[in-house]
Amino acid sequence: MRRPVSLTLRLSLLFGIAAVVVFSTFGWFIEDSIKHHFTVQDISELEIIAQAVDTTLFSELSEDDYASHKQRFDDILLGHHGASLHVTDANGRIVFTSADPDLSELTLLSGGGEDDDPVRNWSDGEHSFRVLTKQLNSNKPLSEQSYTIAVAVPIDYHLRFLDGFRYTLWLMVISGIAITSLTGWVAVRQGHAPLHNIVAQISRISANELNIRLSPDTVPSELSDLAVSFNEMLDRIEEAFLRLTDFSADIAHELRTPVTSLMTQTQVALSQSRNIDEYKEILYSNIEEYERMAQMISDMLFLAQADNGLCKSDNAEVNLTTEVHSLFDYYEAWAEERNVKLSVEGDAGTTGDRLMLRRALNNLLANAIRYTPTGGTVSIHLEQLSSGGVSIDVENPGLKIAPEHLGRLFDRFYRVDPSRQEGGAGLGLAIVESIVKAHHGNIEVTSSESFTRFHITFP
Amino acid sequence: MKLLIVEDESKIGDYLQQGLSEAGFVVDLARNGLDGHHLAMTETYDLLILDVMLPDIDGWKILKSLREAERKVPVLFLTARDSVDDRVKGLELGADDYLVKPFAFSELLARVRTLLRRGAVPANESILKADNLELDLMRRRVTRAGNRIHLSAKEFTLLELLIRHRGEVLPRSLIASQVWDMNFDSDTNVIDVAIRRLRAKIDEDYEPRLIHTLRGMGYMLDTPDNA
Repeated sequence: MRRPVSLTLRLSLLFGIAAVVVFSTFGWFIEDSIKHHFTVQDISELEIIAQAVDTTLFSELSEDDYASHKQRFDDILLGHHGASLHVTDANGRIVFTSADPDLSELTLLSGGGEDDDPVRNWSDGEHSFRVLTKQLNSNKPLSEQSYTIAVAVPIDYHLRFLDGFRYTLWLMVISGIAITSLTGWVAVRQGHAPLHNIVAQISRISANELNIRLSPDTVPSELSDLAVSFNEMLDRIEEAFLRLTDFSADIAHELRTPVTSLMTQTQVALSQSRNIDEYKEILYSNIEEYERMAQMISDMLFLAQADNGLCKSDNAEVNLTTEVHSLFDYYEAWAEERNVKLSVEGDAGTTGDRLMLRRALNNLLANAIRYTPTGGTVSIHLEQLSSGGVSIDVENPGLKIAPEHLGRLFDRFYRVDPSRQEGGAGLGLAIVESIVKAHHGNIEVTSSESFTRFHITFP
Repeated sequence: MKLLIVEDESKIGDYLQQGLSEAGFVVDLARNGLDGHHLAMTETYDLLILDVMLPDIDGWKILKSLREAERKVPVLFLTARDSVDDRVKGLELGADDYLVKPFAFSELLARVRTLLRRGAVPANESILKADNLELDLMRRRVTRAGNRIHLSAKEFTLLELLIRHRGEVLPRSLIASQVWDMNFDSDTNVIDVAIRRLRAKIDEDYEPRLIHTLRGMGYMLDTPDNA
């Protein structure tokens, strides 16, 4: 997958585009308004002149003496800077024409049609003008008199002003765009500063300093969720890490003890010669120690695999009732010898790994039988829950387990009574817990004055 | 019976060779994969014991060459890594059994004997005998010196296992897995109790003693004339 474009670049681009759109629209609008304003102004001036000419033509002018009215037309134009006029009568005779510019050709172009826009722009090659061409008819009844007029006002200075204005305007628009984009870029960079802060904080965290936490209160509210989730992740990692460290230390400790005793025993045995039976005795004693170590190693391997999710719990149907009965079968003789009764009630089945579930039940049952006083009964209660889950209770009478031990019962290598070696390395219940967890189940233990109960639920 | 051991760890190799020789087998030992491969492909053996992790040619490769050459000799492999994938791989390649290190020597011996027997005539006799002890498999009946003895179903199975493997040491883990289908080590002395009860029924009041305890190894049923 391609790496997405950087956030800074994206946001800056977005700002830039928005600025271009806004400023261009704005600039275009202003330019257009001013142009429009000039046009309206010119048109009204042209209309005023045309009106005055109209009045002059029809009220004061006699057809035969156009020349005598020249002064009158000059007067009309006088009030309008640079305006010029060209008037012809119906026969094409020139009534009046300004000296400059020559508007005669415009008169011809007008055509007099109603559809033509009477006002247009026109240039004589040197200057630009706005021109009004119009046919004027007498409003007196029965009068056939009509004239064609062309009025022009120069617009050079308007155009020059517009050119200058347009130049300034677009310069401002472009600077506006540039400034906005730049500000956007700076703002985004600034906005990312808390992110860089967090990155700096995170990069300080190493295996030795897993206790560092981000402070969600000092980051912008958008990032506080991130900080909180990150802290929670750190909590989990730290806990797992500590457990692993403890576990390694425990392994070293648990192995050191038997290895020390083996070494001592062997060295003492070799320090002087002994008879065959004594040697045998030492070897037998060694083998017992070796077996314990071998079992501890295989238990630890199992736990390591379970922790890493390597124990794939296949989803076979497991009849727990059958499993309990076959375990009872197995432990029957042992329990009988200890004068402990075994009882099971209820019926349940679940899906999972049969061997693992059997192992979990085995560890619990062996534990329960071991700690049941003579004459007691270990009872297992199985129940198929209405939710589709399963609940398993393994209960044995016996002394109350103190609350400070209860919470740590599932810890690896934890023994309630460290001096008692019976019951292996203290991994049995840790294995039970691992198996239950691998099956997404839950296990808890309660202990009262008269009994201890392990309660497992599987979903 | 001739066996080949391919094991690069010298101490383990030596002791395996010694132990199996003392158990009555002729044992060749190869200390690396190349020698092992050569011997396995050229000599004839009744059983191969292969270490998986060898420095040059590993156990899998030797096994593969053997099977490709259509040699059907049973193979038991030893592995230090107990992972499901390893097991599946070994069995797919045609291994007959596996043992995870560390293992008890008695366990290895029992497995070796089982593998060697596998090709032999199936045991279909209906009455098993050891001295004056008789097991009638059809009628599930046990007599010792002519006296009928009542055993529970599991006791009967246990006795059958011991008598079928008479003269062999059976480690506790093997007994647990064969009789009760419990395939994991238990830190209890369940097997000892079961054996004690069986002994009380079939052995205590009779001569000669048939069930022997081998300290640190396991149990064995043996008759004096067999010694």
